[in-house]
Amino acid sequence: MQTTTPTAPESRSTEFVPVSGGGETTSAEALLVTAYILFWAIFFGFLLMTWRKITRVDKRLDDLSQVLSKARPAEH
Amino acid sequence: MPRGSYETLLAITALCFAGLIAFVFFKTPVAQLQAGGLAQKIFYFHVPSAYAMYLSGTVCFIASALYLAGASEKRDAWARAGAECAVAFGFVVLMSGPLWARKAWGVYWTWDPRLTTSLLSVLIYVAVVVLRAFGGGGEAERRFAAALGVLGTANLPIIHYSVQKWGGNHPTVISQGGGGLRHPAMAQGLLFGFLTITLFAIALIWARARLALANSRLARLEEEAATRGLLDE
Repeated sequence: MQTTTPTAPESRSTEFVPVSGGGETTSAEALLVTAYILFWAIFFGFLLMTWRKITRVDKRLDDLSQVLSKARPAEH
Repeated sequence: MPRGSYETLLAITALCFAGLIAFVFFKTPVAQLQAGGLAQKIFYFHVPSAYAMYLSGTVCFIASALYLAGASEKRDAWARAGAECAVAFGFVVLMSGPLWARKAWGVYWTWDPRLTTSLLSVLIYVAVVVLRAFGGGGEAERRFAAALGVLGTANLPIIHYSVQKWGGNHPTVISQGGGGLRHPAMAQGLLFGFLTITLFAIALIWARARLALANSRLARLEEEAATRGLLDE
């Protein structure tokens, strides 16, 4: 288990403190590219999914409204 | 929001995203190695995403509290939308933070107060979303989800102040004016990030609320159609 080096809040505000037991072997480029891919995948995947769902629900609403509006006058 | 206005908002957001990426990679300098060097550029999306999680959580909190005071479909829809967006932005924060931490701290994760409280908050919002998605749409489920939504947001100030009050590794570069923002372009990049992610959060929360309202209306119409025996059509 990793242990942290406790620091005072005021010193943490101006520095980044390594965690004891951690190893710095991963390249910054790989981490940066992975992070940006994740940003785009989550942000735009979620937006696209929402957009497609809205389109599908709207279409279903239109269809149902038409069916119901045809049925309603027939009852009167 | 009229459809044309929404598309304009999306177009402006897309332009801001493109501008932000260009600004981050071509204008902001690479930070010192202790801050992660090149990996510090994650900061310009990571911090605004955390802020967007607060924003979404606040929407969830207000709508949930209003729902508990007086139930309505609109309030339920906004509460649900706020929780869903808080989960999305929370995931971004919890995935991008460890990637940056790997370079800056040497590990992906440590049980730092801010990291732990952030994880807890996201898990509460996940509970709200799961409850609303799979727990049925009954009044009791909605009220329970609203109570969880209030609880999740009550945790947000704890996240914010945890880093100042308790020990840990997470920096407080914004409120204390620390090393992360020494260069003017870094501060400008962060402000640009806040603007872009705020626009995106507004677009996303609005879309999710609209979807939740449309789903409620669809459920009502399907019930009516089923009662009349019209669902086969």
